[in-house]
Amino acid sequence: MLQQLTNLSDKELISRARKLKDQEAEGILMERYSHLMVAVCLPYLNSGPATAPEEVYPSLLQRLSESLKTQTIPKANEWIHYTIRAAQARTANNSPFFPSTESRELQQLENNVEKAATNLKEQQLLAGRFTRALDKLTAEDSHFLREFYVNNKSFAELAETRKYSVVKTRQILQQAKQKMASLLMNETYE
Amino acid sequence: MSNLENNEKILKIFSNIRCLNRDQLPRYLDGRLTDVEKHLVEQHLVDCDLCFDALQVLQQQQYREKYQPLCNSMQQYIRNSIKSVSHAHKAERYQRQEQKKESFLIYFWVVAAIAAGAGIIYLVQQQGKFKPPVTKALASNTEIAATPIDNPPVQEAVITPVRAEATDTVTRRPIAVAPAPVAVPANTAPAEPEPKPVTKDTVKATVKPPVTTLVNKDSVKKQPPPAPKPAEEKEAVKPPVEHKDTPSIAKKAEEKPTPKPVPKEKKEEEHKPAPEPSGGTDEFLYKAAMVYHQQGDLNEAISRYKHLSSSAGKYGELSRYQLAVCYRSKGQTGKARRMFKEVVRMNGSMKTKAQAALDNL
Repeated sequence: MLQQLTNLSDKELISRARKLKDQEAEGILMERYSHLMVAVCLPYLNSGPATAPEEVYPSLLQRLSESLKTQTIPKANEWIHYTIRAAQARTANNSPFFPSTESRELQQLENNVEKAATNLKEQQLLAGRFTRALDKLTAEDSHFLREFYVNNKSFAELAETRKYSVVKTRQILQQAKQKMASLLMNETYE
Repeated sequence: MSNLENNEKILKIFSNIRCLNRDQLPRYLDGRLTDVEKHLVEQHLVDCDLCFDALQVLQQQQYREKYQPLCNSMQQYIRNSIKSVSHAHKAERYQRQEQKKESFLIYFWVVAAIAAGAGIIYLVQQQGKFKPPVTKALASNTEIAATPIDNPPVQEAVITPVRAEATDTVTRRPIAVAPAPVAVPANTAPAEPEPKPVTKDTVKATVKPPVTTLVNKDSVKKQPPPAPKPAEEKEAVKPPVEHKDTPSIAKKAEEKPTPKPVPKEKKEEEHKPAPEPSGGTDEFLYKAAMVYHQQGDLNEAISRYKHLSSSAGKYGELSRYQLAVCYRSKGQTGKARRMFKEVVRMNGSMKTKAQAALDNL
């Protein structure tokens, strides 16, 4: 059973955990992201009261488990990241997770691309739209995106060309992508 | 082709890529990924804050050392919690199944018990419906058993409980009127065969209801004019009586012709006292005595006949004749002879019969 569940996507696991109250599916989902949770929480450990690993991780898992039952989760990684940040910031426990507008726009475009995976004409149409949106971006954003996605440059290479740090390079790429997504979504709304 | 490749590359901007797995994370940090794999990871890192933060943390050596043991313990913790949960889940499921089974069994037994109870009630009701006839039959059987052992098995076979039930009301009439055939064999038959017809008649009487019921019946019969009815009844009774006699001993066959004239004479006799008002009580007493006679209770019959013999008229003569028959049956031939003589002296309808009996004695 566990072996079969590991092959399921995040969405399917969340659905099983919520609808069927499948504890195993919930466990598989937590295990899938456990290494990332451990890594992100490492700087936070032993930084204050009740921050021992034996307390932090179980409480985090408990919090995630509770929020899984009630909240809409389009992307598991964003939901986990939000919950970890909320736990570390000791903010109100009940503040729910809502995906941002940018995140939803990206999600929609990703779904469109996924749907067009087997349809060449749709792929062409989408590619044309993306190219036009790229042209509308600033030169730097367009350059970074083209270099990264079309020319397959790595973060390090891109950072080196402009003498930026990897973090900044990633941030520029992220923002450029977000702008492009907003442009494309605005086109569809118009 | 280049256009297609270009399209695919542009579409990559919004392709969904999974988070870094447990294996990829350290390999990326160590630079041990292939170019394609590394590019895919970096494509994902553009969007995923969780993975990028994890990488940023793990790039520091101090956290890198803690990461691996903590990661293993976390994985173990989750697996243990899943196991315990799944075990608990399984146990719950098993318990539910068992409870369902038990409840089904309980329902089954409840339904079975209700069905059995309903069946028993139905049977009891059915028994209650059929009880009266059965008990009657049983009662008649017990009466038969109580009758003298002299009865031949053939006769017992003739008298079945079914017949007693079926002719419950109908057969009572002939019994009450039965005396005529009984009286007849006494006239002609010698001393030896006498007990047999008497016992036969007693068997018949046992099959029928007891004397008390008969008395009631007779009293009912009294209400209509007494003379014509018994005559008719006697006529109706004749054939079955003859049939019953057939299986008996050969001697009875000799007696057969005699019964016929007797009822005729009786008819004549009964027609005569019809206008008499006191004839009703005498007839009733005579019939009651006859019943005792048929049942073999000779002493009781003799006392009743004696009581009746003092009265004048047809029943006085008849009762004396029957008294003589009773004495003869008891072996008191002296008394019997005297009674027969008295009957002859009375010069009534029974004179010839009495004379014949007197000659035979």
